[in-house]
Amino acid sequence: MAVSGFEGFEKRLELHFFGDDPKNMGTLGLGLRLLDFDSIQEVLDEVQCTVVSAVANHYFDAYVLSESSLFVYPTKIIIKTCGTTQLLKSIPPLLRHASLDLGLTLSSCRYTRGNFIFPRAQPFPYTNFQNEVVYLEESLPAALCYRKASVMPSKTPSHAWHVFSASTQNTTCRFGDSDEDDFYTLEICMTELDRDLARNFFRRPGDDKNGDSAGKEMTELTGISQINPRALICDFAFDPCGYSMNGIDGDRHSTIHVTPEDGYSYASFECVGSVYDDREDVVRMLKKVVQVFRPATMSVSTTCESHEVWTRVAGALEPLGFKCRSCAADEFPAAGTVVYQTFVDRRSNNYNNKS
Amino acid sequence: MAAEEGQVVSCHTLDAWNEQLQKGNDSKKLMVIDFTASWCGPCRFIAPFLAELAKKLPNVIFVKVDVDELKSVAQDWAVEAMPTFMFLKEGKIVDKVVGAKKDELQQTIAKHVAAASASA
Repeated sequence: MAVSGFEGFEKRLELHFFGDDPKNMGTLGLGLRLLDFDSIQEVLDEVQCTVVSAVANHYFDAYVLSESSLFVYPTKIIIKTCGTTQLLKSIPPLLRHASLDLGLTLSSCRYTRGNFIFPRAQPFPYTNFQNEVVYLEESLPAALCYRKASVMPSKTPSHAWHVFSASTQNTTCRFGDSDEDDFYTLEICMTELDRDLARNFFRRPGDDKNGDSAGKEMTELTGISQINPRALICDFAFDPCGYSMNGIDGDRHSTIHVTPEDGYSYASFECVGSVYDDREDVVRMLKKVVQVFRPATMSVSTTCESHEVWTRVAGALEPLGFKCRSCAADEFPAAGTVVYQTFVDRRSNNYNNKS
Repeated sequence: MAAEEGQVVSCHTLDAWNEQLQKGNDSKKLMVIDFTASWCGPCRFIAPFLAELAKKLPNVIFVKVDVDELKSVAQDWAVEAMPTFMFLKEGKIVDKVVGAKKDELQQTIAKHVAAASASA
């Protein structure tokens, strides 16, 4: 392994808001989407990243950042950043602008991340989870009094899932947006990507393309466009390597970020779905994700009210040659149940050495 | 017309839109149409950049259409995501950029401006 390289593992923050003004609430409300770009810029400056491309539909705004992604829904914001970014510094300016500019109040907060490949390169407070939890506790309003932090383990010491969740209500239900209760979020982290497949995420020298058009080419070439053919994709290829995309499909986002360098290769895939979707949807999607990256190890975090989705995940990955090595479940305020599963490719050295 | 040079012209009515379209067709200039929405964050992100481009490129016509104000136009042009930039020459769509993508927008304009001066 390289002594140091780019940290692919993201930090992810999801904030939910509510307000009395009906123009901000519900699917027709605009809420956080009315934040002016200067406010968003101020938040991103704190985090230390910039917007490289963006797109919107009637339901939400999706930004590809220099380090990962930002999604703005009327009452929900998701920021995901990799490298050595200062994600949690986004909280104070976001809460201030939501409150003063829009009259919106925070109702729940969820922070998740995997295990960093280069933990010593991280700035404070990301050096350890306890520090992050203290920082979060201090940044959040007292009204979010139901709080829980947990490190969900796996059998592989290099994989663990860190979850912090806080809510104004003592319930695991995602209140407020009743239609959200049926949704689930998948957060997938993949390491040790197949070397030949990872090469697809390097720019070709002298291709005279810009980051947008090179990204579009990678989306097609790698098969990423086929993961959800219905989604409109906003993509970007970094120079000399690396790739990011956001998918927008009605009121559902998806996102992929790739650090392809050998020694610390990493890819993440995140999407939302409904428990009422065709059961086969998630199976088809995961199969395509595996075909794009063929990682030696992958971890899947499923956040959902229902217990049904995570079994579909295992059912999808096992026929593709992955062995489930661990499974942990826990309940969190306003998030529901988080199930953290790790999988190892049976054909990889990891499997042969460690099992 | 001269007053509009160097600016992004907003069309708030169907008449204004048809007039701009006609002007664009007659002038044989490259026309860039920005389909935008008041609630679209990425549109606000790209707006200052588009205004800069318009200032720098007086030979290109920049038109802005709000998809809520001119719903039928957005539907006719099958605009589903915002911002969508349509590139028109003599009434024909020659290119399309979906999303707020600065480099792609700039390069696509450059490509068609170059093509125009090469054939002129």
